[in-house]
Amino acid sequence: MKILYVDDEPDNLVGFKASLRLDYQILTAVTIPQAISCLDNHPEIKVVFCDQRMPIKTGVEFFEEIRVSHPLPVRILLTAYTDVEAIIDAINRGNIFRYVKKPWTEADIISAIDEANKFYMANSMLSIKNDELQKAYNELDKFAYSISHDIRGPLSGILGAINVAREIDDVEEMKEMLFLMGKSLNKLDTYILSMHDYYSLQRGELKIKELDFNKIIDDLKPMYTVLSKTNKVAFNISVEQGEIFRSDDVPVKLILNNLLSNAFKYQDKKNKNKSVDVIVKVQNSLATIYVKDTGIGILGTHIGEIFNLFYRANFQEVGSGFGLYNVKSAILKLNGQIEVTSVLHQGTTFRVTIPSV
Amino acid sequence: MNIEYSFIVIDDSELDSFVIQKVIQHTYEAVSIKTFQNGFDAIEMIRNHTGNDRPPAIIFLDLQMPFMHGTKFIEEFEKHPPEIQNKYVIVVLSILSSATYPVDMFRIRNYVSVNSMIEKPLTKEKLTKLLAELKSGV
Repeated sequence: MKILYVDDEPDNLVGFKASLRLDYQILTAVTIPQAISCLDNHPEIKVVFCDQRMPIKTGVEFFEEIRVSHPLPVRILLTAYTDVEAIIDAINRGNIFRYVKKPWTEADIISAIDEANKFYMANSMLSIKNDELQKAYNELDKFAYSISHDIRGPLSGILGAINVAREIDDVEEMKEMLFLMGKSLNKLDTYILSMHDYYSLQRGELKIKELDFNKIIDDLKPMYTVLSKTNKVAFNISVEQGEIFRSDDVPVKLILNNLLSNAFKYQDKKNKNKSVDVIVKVQNSLATIYVKDTGIGILGTHIGEIFNLFYRANFQEVGSGFGLYNVKSAILKLNGQIEVTSVLHQGTTFRVTIPSV
Repeated sequence: MNIEYSFIVIDDSELDSFVIQKVIQHTYEAVSIKTFQNGFDAIEMIRNHTGNDRPPAIIFLDLQMPFMHGTKFIEEFEKHPPEIQNKYVIVVLSILSSATYPVDMFRIRNYVSVNSMIEKPLTKEKLTKLLAELKSGV
């Protein structure tokens, strides 16, 4: 833990350093400009002690300045004087955490540092929580907007269809509409399931165990084999795993499922040689997964945005805008990485790497 | 009943598009309806369609579409010269309503080319009311 001590008397600095250097990393400065450059160079400093009686500027004035420029370190004033004005100033203007009377005892300083450290940690946690909260709020805004479209949209469509149904006599026409109504409801259902995935990824904890990719792929295979046959898309699988791999299977399956279903969904209907390849290699405690398709591809200008929540880079209404966002969250959770390369009208390849825990 | 309008539907939802077509067909006979799943193709058609035809076409425009939002379509549309714009009447047909989304709807109302706004789903009543208003020039 780094501590800065500012005092214009070198003897004091030496004494301070001597008694505390075993427990803390002590940095010292004899002038205020020196102290400021020290704070610039060591942003990890947690506590700053300063003597009140400094030439040019007082300790309080120094604190008043760094309170704005370097708000993180906890400020403690050292002084031999117990004049009330100075104390009031130190609290109100310097916004100090503690006030230690000179000559100090080691116990005073250590207790001040301990308390300051707790305060510093609490503040840092607060700022992390604040960022998380801000992110959660931003996502909530997106949710509110998406709910109007992705939940109310299909519902209003169904409602409209029910109104129209009263006037339809033709059975074929009715069948066509029922088919579209079913499609709309399926989309709504997918949306709700993805929302559940989203929630468990954001809030759930990892359950690490040994993973066998052959088994994972075998479990997924039947579903995609059906898609492969009905849509005439060749489905090629290759798994190489010669070592133990530890991770959480739920996010891993979510990643594979989303990438595979996208690979089948965004095929180019005009293409005669459609294929989806999934390649898994586990080597040196790292799983590398490729999912390749011969689909419609992603426009270069949209590729940076595909992992954003509710982003859809496609005209068709099939996507919910959750899929790749959930993939990205799952990969972050597993400490992995994802890369995408895509050529319009030729296909897209996702490369995912996940480290073994 | 016969009317002097044709229709263009721009909606990414197949079901909504189907419902709009059926409502129109059940209300008016022998009417021409073109449908588009996205605004790009519709803009493309408008750009290439230079014939001097009457009657004008009513465009039912959805707002929340991926890739090209309805407002983007309106902005693209308004770049066309008046003689092209005059061939169309834009009616925003969305699940958003002025009551629930006043800010969004206010923005839409400010586009000069937008004639009116209707909340989904489209019904016979809403459609005949719209046509009556267009006829009387409201």
